[in-house]
Amino acid sequence: MDEKTPVLEIKDLSVSYQTPSGFVEAVRGVNLTLYPEEIIGLVGESGSGKSTMAFAVMRLLKGEATVTGGLIKVLGKDVYSLNKKELRLFRWDQMAMVFQSAMSALNPVMTVEKQIFDTILSHRPQMSRQEVRTRAEELMDMVRIDRKHLKSFPHELSGGMRQRIVIAIAIALHPKMVIMDEPTTALDVVVQRSILNQIKEIQKTEKFSILFISHDFSLVAEMATRVAIMYAGRIVEMTDSQTLKLGERHHPYTDGLLRAIPQLTSEDVVIEGISGNPPDLKLLPSGCAFHPRCALAMERCKTEMPIPHPQPIGYIECHLYSEEGSRG
Amino acid sequence: MADSEALVKVENLVVRFPITDNSRRTFIRPVDQVSFEIRAGEVLALVGESGSGKSTIGKALLRILEPSEGSIVVGNKDITHIRRRELVEYRKLAQMIFQDPFGSLNPVKTIEQHLAFPIRKHRLASSDSTSNLINELLARVGLTPVEETRLKFPHELSGGQRQRVAIARALAVNPKFLVADEPISMLDVSIRAGILRLMTQLREDFNLAFLYITHDLASARYFGNRIMVLYGGRIMETSASSELIRKPLHPYTRLLLAATPGSAMKGALPETSNKPPNLLEGRTGCPFADRCPHATDLCRDQVPELTEFEAGHLVACHYTNQLAEDNIRS
Ligand SMILES: Nc1ncnc2c1ncn2[C@@H]1O[C@H](COP(=O)(O)OP(=O)(O)OP(=O)(O)O)[C@@H](O)[C@H]1O
Ligand SMILES: Nc1ncnc2c1ncn2[C@@H]1O[C@H](COP(=O)(O)OP(=O)(O)O)[C@@H](O)[C@H]1O
Ligand code: SF4
Ligand code: SF4
Ligand SMILES: [Mg+2]
Ligand SMILES: [Mg+2]
Repeated sequence: MDEKTPVLEIKDLSVSYQTPSGFVEAVRGVNLTLYPEEIIGLVGESGSGKSTMAFAVMRLLKGEATVTGGLIKVLGKDVYSLNKKELRLFRWDQMAMVFQSAMSALNPVMTVEKQIFDTILSHRPQMSRQEVRTRAEELMDMVRIDRKHLKSFPHELSGGMRQRIVIAIAIALHPKMVIMDEPTTALDVVVQRSILNQIKEIQKTEKFSILFISHDFSLVAEMATRVAIMYAGRIVEMTDSQTLKLGERHHPYTDGLLRAIPQLTSEDVVIEGISGNPPDLKLLPSGCAFHPRCALAMERCKTEMPIPHPQPIGYIECHLYSEEGSRG
Repeated sequence: MADSEALVKVENLVVRFPITDNSRRTFIRPVDQVSFEIRAGEVLALVGESGSGKSTIGKALLRILEPSEGSIVVGNKDITHIRRRELVEYRKLAQMIFQDPFGSLNPVKTIEQHLAFPIRKHRLASSDSTSNLINELLARVGLTPVEETRLKFPHELSGGQRQRVAIARALAVNPKFLVADEPISMLDVSIRAGILRLMTQLREDFNLAFLYITHDLASARYFGNRIMVLYGGRIMETSASSELIRKPLHPYTRLLLAATPGSAMKGALPETSNKPPNLLEGRTGCPFADRCPHATDLCRDQVPELTEFEAGHLVACHYTNQLAEDNIRS
């Protein structure tokens, strides 16, 4: 496989949930390409479809959710064309995921060692116990947890330590891509920062790609090179972390979020919320889904869904950036 | 405002909880000798990691729990150990807003009923004017059109709207002091700012005093006039918000700042371990000593007292003078 083959290619992906009141589309025609060794940040408010998209990539969607359109390729392979056995081997080996809640990702009645061993041996049955042990110890060193905790049960560890173990398991088999879904959201900032520093370090040596999901702009800007902004199931802007600040060309939603966040160091700027509330997917607004909350909305926004308009870096999906739009 | 009397005066507050440690009955002290004041119209932001004692302080101030030692005076009345009637009376002065706006509302009651309850309980309005007062409260927190909002149930509102209901309910008694415990941390990013702005507005309009509990330094700086940093149940540092961010003196404050997304400090964190603080009664020394890169035997032996380093800037560290010089050099 040559260098340029994307690690992850998502084309026109749509995912729906079946609910008592009918289908709701949680991911609506998403496109995303992740290259080798790249870190892409995916930001969006709760309910915007980030986790749904991640689960779709891992082919871990539950019963009531279905991929209703599009294509997902990981390392050039269509994830949905794999049979059960191939998929089982592909997962963790090639693509891995760190889930939003670490506790539920670990088995409470199994020691850390056993959980790491099981993951490795189910994919590498030929490895000797000594080799597996060596790898387990290596992983513990990588995430900076004392090796003695291999013998610990999850409840004997702090939240931060558990999350580190989950990360260790995710990278145990040298995957090419790791999806991290809010890996540190439940943790204190100091613990969060030390885990993120470790992720960056490990990523440099192990050279995998990361799809880093978070609702925190400043965090994503620090972790990722490119950033995708999701609203109501669509990636409405693709930009890079350098550009992710006020004063640059952005989608009105991105702009709104940037204005809404108190900055640690800036002097006495007044923050402003975005009016209205995140949309109910069952009653998705017509045209541009953001239009009821958008201060710049025009007549056509109510009926016509905007298309992505290419920018020097990435794209913005908003009528303002079309040829006849005011910022085009 | 600067020289006005403090509305809230907390002195040497201690809260102990019984625990069993290695099958031995003993106590932890998640709040240990904490003293501070809040003036009318002032927002004191209380920051610190999970388990540092923030909510416990908030609950003690509201007398949801009773302090073990020390005293709390609010509006010239000592409320440290008051009971029944006096407590009910105190709730007209001080109210609390919680993190989870859903958990704090009753799912089978309309918004109107939520607001009518405190009004009746405290006889704040005649039955004729109750309805007007409800409208007024809803309008004040931006839940318009009020006629529509009144008849809704909590599940029909978004998280941000629910938090506004909780605020309206707290305002019903016309309090002077609000404890807001992580009021925005469970809300969507796009609506957090609205709640912060609402609280800022209320502070200005009613000269309300706030204890704003948060783990986020950026919002503490935004909403707080002063910031107080807590670690292991003790105050590590307190000063005017911008001063604290610009010139942090305590090693823990520096660690917290370095770790906050968006801070200018990059690279390795200034800490030596990530052991949680010992909260057991009878611990010795500085609670931060296990993690502090500057710790000495003195630190492990003696608790540093909170002392004024500069006007209004208090620090609890044996080596404040040396660290302040570092700050100037770096
Ligand atoms: N009722 C109780 N009985 C025993 N221990 C308690 C009780 N309430 C709190 N604690 C303990 O007191 C300490 C401080 O808890 P507190 O809830 O005040 O922390 P916090 O700073 O608000 O944390 P967070 O950021 O997680 O909300 C913790 O160790 C907690 O386990
Ligand atoms: N099991 C489910 N059944 C029905 N709807 C769901 C389910 N899981 C998620 N959803 C809906 O899908 C949307 C996207 O959810 P999610 O992907 O979890 O968002 P995010 O991770 O960005 O917070 C939300 O509106 C959510 O309510
Ligand atoms: S398309 Fe219209 S409504 Fe949507 S973000 Fe752009 S200007 Fe606003
Ligand atoms: S007293 Fe000692 S251990 Fe505590 S913060 Fe100061 S230098 Fe560090
Ligand atoms: Mg999610
Ligand atoms: Mg708390």
